[in-house]
Amino acid sequence: MSALIRSRSFRRGAFQIGFLALLIALIVAAALVGRANILSQGMATGFGFLEQTTGWTVGFSVIDVGPRSTYAHMLFVGILNTLAVGLLTLVLASLLGLVLALMRVSTNTPMQIVGGTYIELFRNVPLILQVLFWYALLTHTPSPRNAISFVDVAFFSNRGLTLPVPALSGLDVLILVAGLVVLAFAFRGLSKSFDLRQRILGAIAAFAALFLVLLLTGRAPEMPLISVPALKGLRFDGGFTLKPEFTALLIGLVLFGASYIGEITRGGLLSVDKGKLEAGAALGFNSSQINRFIRIPLAFRAMLPALANQYVWLMKGTTVGIVIGYPDYFAVVSTSINQSGQTLELLALLMIGFVIINYSIGFAMNVLNDRLKLKGRS
Amino acid sequence: MTSKIGRMIAATAVVLTGATGAMAQDEGVLGAIKDRDSLLCTGHNGSYLGFAEVDAQGAWQGFDIEMCKALATAITGSPDKLQIIPVSWAQRFPAIQSGDIDVIIKVTGWTMTRDTELGLQYSRPYFVGPFYTMTRKELGASSIEDLAGGVFCAQAGTTVERILVDYMDSRGLEYEVLAFEKPEELRGAIYNERCDAVPGFGPFLSATRVEAPDPDAFIILEDVMALEPEGIVVREGEEALLDVINWMVSVLLLAEQEGITQANVDDMRANPPSATIERMLGVTPGVGDRLGLSNDWAYNMIKAVGNYGEIYDRTVGDGSRYQLPRGLNNLWNNGGVLYPLVLD
Repeated sequence: MSALIRSRSFRRGAFQIGFLALLIALIVAAALVGRANILSQGMATGFGFLEQTTGWTVGFSVIDVGPRSTYAHMLFVGILNTLAVGLLTLVLASLLGLVLALMRVSTNTPMQIVGGTYIELFRNVPLILQVLFWYALLTHTPSPRNAISFVDVAFFSNRGLTLPVPALSGLDVLILVAGLVVLAFAFRGLSKSFDLRQRILGAIAAFAALFLVLLLTGRAPEMPLISVPALKGLRFDGGFTLKPEFTALLIGLVLFGASYIGEITRGGLLSVDKGKLEAGAALGFNSSQINRFIRIPLAFRAMLPALANQYVWLMKGTTVGIVIGYPDYFAVVSTSINQSGQTLELLALLMIGFVIINYSIGFAMNVLNDRLKLKGRS
Repeated sequence: MTSKIGRMIAATAVVLTGATGAMAQDEGVLGAIKDRDSLLCTGHNGSYLGFAEVDAQGAWQGFDIEMCKALATAITGSPDKLQIIPVSWAQRFPAIQSGDIDVIIKVTGWTMTRDTELGLQYSRPYFVGPFYTMTRKELGASSIEDLAGGVFCAQAGTTVERILVDYMDSRGLEYEVLAFEKPEELRGAIYNERCDAVPGFGPFLSATRVEAPDPDAFIILEDVMALEPEGIVVREGEEALLDVINWMVSVLLLAEQEGITQANVDDMRANPPSATIERMLGVTPGVGDRLGLSNDWAYNMIKAVGNYGEIYDRTVGDGSRYQLPRGLNNLWNNGGVLYPLVLD
């Protein structure tokens, strides 16, 4: 017994187990006390309300929604809205950030000044202010009846940018997406027999053919090929409208996010050993080849952890959409709390939703990091 | 401590003098208000014009604030023994459940969900809110049907959202909803023409119109979309406080019906024209004992804030800049739906 106590590894293990048990006991006790208090105040009545219809609706949604939708459906709509603006932001902000970083590390002085000024300007103004600014700008435009029109098929007004789009059904879009995935696999499989240019042209041609087939078949004869917007009453009928709430939030997030991603990318680019670049030059690479084959791949590895952080941050930044009436997950939860009164349940769902979204981003970045890291080093 | 002893003596005195039965107990929130000698009532995060707004001197004004003052006077004897806690629409229910506020007086519609699922109970309605639609004159709409297909802006999380979709869907009209979290953002969207129409509570629309850069550019359509009875909310199980609130509202209405005003309440008390008024103003005992209040609570209250009509005029009616007609919020004998209970 005394030998056991004197054993260092046993003592350590016992301490750790004891600490863990204490921690669990604390959490459980807090949860139980909290639950008892909540129940005694009649504040929580469980998650049954998720099955009830909302009786209210939101103005922007990727999928169908209406006052007869359930709360569960409405929350899903909110998550999709958050993902729509968030994922698009990540892609666009990364591209813009890369451009900014290349400008700042270039030897061209005007480029350096433009890149530096941009970053200082957009990094130092609060995100919420930028979003409000873009929203004010986009809504202080003509009303639909006085819209700025481009040859009467596209219109710009304070209701957004309305564009003509091919008249495709939801099923058509699904087939197109599936086609895209199939082509991507075919593209990789054929790499041995064709060169890159042939493969790209082939893929574009195959996709265009699929698109045309869908447009010309399986539709009622009177249905037009292209839905052209036209002013009807108070709004534009037909076409696709990019609403100002979405656009303002996207612009704000992309411009703000790009300034941070630009700096992260610059740090990554500068971390690449100068000798490797000189080696590339010695092998006869020109500067764009050095960037493409040596600098960016190496820089990418160095900046992945910081980039993952920034991505998670930007995803959380979508919640400022609430100030301009964009129904993201946070806004939908907030309205649901008010309408159903299920404060604690909905706050829990809000947290779980964001943890899942952001953990997924972090997980994907970690997987990428593992696959890209220099093998043989730790 | 002293007030506790004082109340014990008072209670003993009441028992000894033979008053029994519905003697209210000083427990729960009503007791807490008396112990604290101050009422915790709802304000607003920002200004809900006409009902809870902050004036140039930084003081709270408005119809709901006057109701808070009336309740504070009824319980504590002074309209100043009142703390206005600013809460948003969304915070009001968690705030009352956690005890941060004693009552919700914040144009809160009496809905089944709130009444049954949130552990709350409502007083008799103290205000009946008609919902109208405001639009810009240049659109040339004369009814809500003319606005079909337009963008309707609403405040997120309020009953307006439901009323709008019910009204439009039941008539087969198309619409697009744009909901904002804060009234300032909603007003911005209305003024810069992002919306074609804004459905809302009549008083709110009048106030929004008055505040517009160009009030004449807006018109409130005559179609009534819905009617919402607004009640005062307390926690489930606070019967003593709820009794006080119901009788407070009733006395404000009775005072108006009987022509008792802030100005003439002293004369009325000196020469009561009827036995009911005599009882109401505490000349003969009973009106306070049964609620656990002092017998002159109604007198104090009318002295401090006036009767229902006076409060209305001062805050949202003809005496205010909002000029909201009394409409349904008149007494039953003037074409409205409000009436006092029987004070026997």
